[in-house]
Amino acid sequence: MNIPVGAFIAVSSVLFFIGVAGVLMRRNAVVILMCVELMLNAANLALVAFSRRGGSADERGSVFVVFIFVIAAAEVAVGLAIVLSSYRNRPTVDVDELHAMKG
Amino acid sequence: MSFDLIETILFALLTIGIVGGAVGVVFLNRITGAALLMAFTFLCNAGMFVLLGAETIAAFQVLIYVGAITVLILYGVMFTPQQERPYGLFFQKQTPWAALFVAPIGIFVALFAFSFRDSENPSTKGGDLVPLATSVFRDFAFPFEVASVLLLAAMIGAIVLVKRDDE
Repeated sequence: MNIPVGAFIAVSSVLFFIGVAGVLMRRNAVVILMCVELMLNAANLALVAFSRRGGSADERGSVFVVFIFVIAAAEVAVGLAIVLSSYRNRPTVDVDELHAMKG
Repeated sequence: MSFDLIETILFALLTIGIVGGAVGVVFLNRITGAALLMAFTFLCNAGMFVLLGAETIAAFQVLIYVGAITVLILYGVMFTPQQERPYGLFFQKQTPWAALFVAPIGIFVALFAFSFRDSENPSTKGGDLVPLATSVFRDFAFPFEVASVLLLAAMIGAIVLVKRDDE
C-alpha cells in the first residue's frame, strides 16, 4: 500500500496518450483498433485505482470496468467485421484510402 | 527484503512493460509483432490490477483482453494484407511547435495525476470478488442484462456484416 494512487493515474494517462498518438499516426485500420483498446485499458486502470483506493465500501469503479470489458469485446468484434467487409469491397485497410463518404 | 520494496520494484517493472509495450504497438511496422506487444501490455496491466488488490478484474483482464481480444485482432491481421507504409505525417512536420504545446499539457496532466491522494479508509482488505459480485448483481442487475443484450446484438451484427451474399 505504499504506492500512491497518483502513480497509477500517471501510468494510466501515459498509456492513454500513447493510444491517442497511435490512433492519429497509424494508417492501418487494425492497428487503430489496437490503439483504441490501449485507451480503453488506460481507462480501466484509472477506474480500478480509484475504486480500490477511493475509500468507498462498494466496488462501483470495478463494476464499470466489467461493463467496459463487455463494450470492448463488442467494439472489437464489430470493428473487425467492418474492416473485413470494407476490405472485401475495396482491397485496402489503409484509412487514408477509405474516403467513400468524404464530402 | 520488505514487501514495500518488492511492491515498488514490481510497480516499476510493470510500468516499463506497459509503456514500452504501448510504444511498440504504435511504432512497430510488423503488425503481428504489434498485436503480440498489445497482449503483453494487457498482461502488464493485469499485473497492475493485482498490485491494486483487484484480483477478479485481473482474471477477467487475462481472460478477455489477453485471450479473446488478442485472438480476434490476430484474426483481423491474418485476413487483411499488411503492406508497409510510412506513418501519418505527424512527427515529420512542425515538431517544435507540437512540443511547445504538448509540454504544458504534459506538465498539467502530471500535476493533476499526482494531486490525487489515497483515501483515509481504503477498501477492505482481501479480494474484490465479494464486493464486485454484490454490486453487479444487486445495484447493477439491469445494466448487466442490458450488457448481455449488447453482446448478442454485436455478435449478430458482426455475423451479418461479414456474411457473403452469394450463399
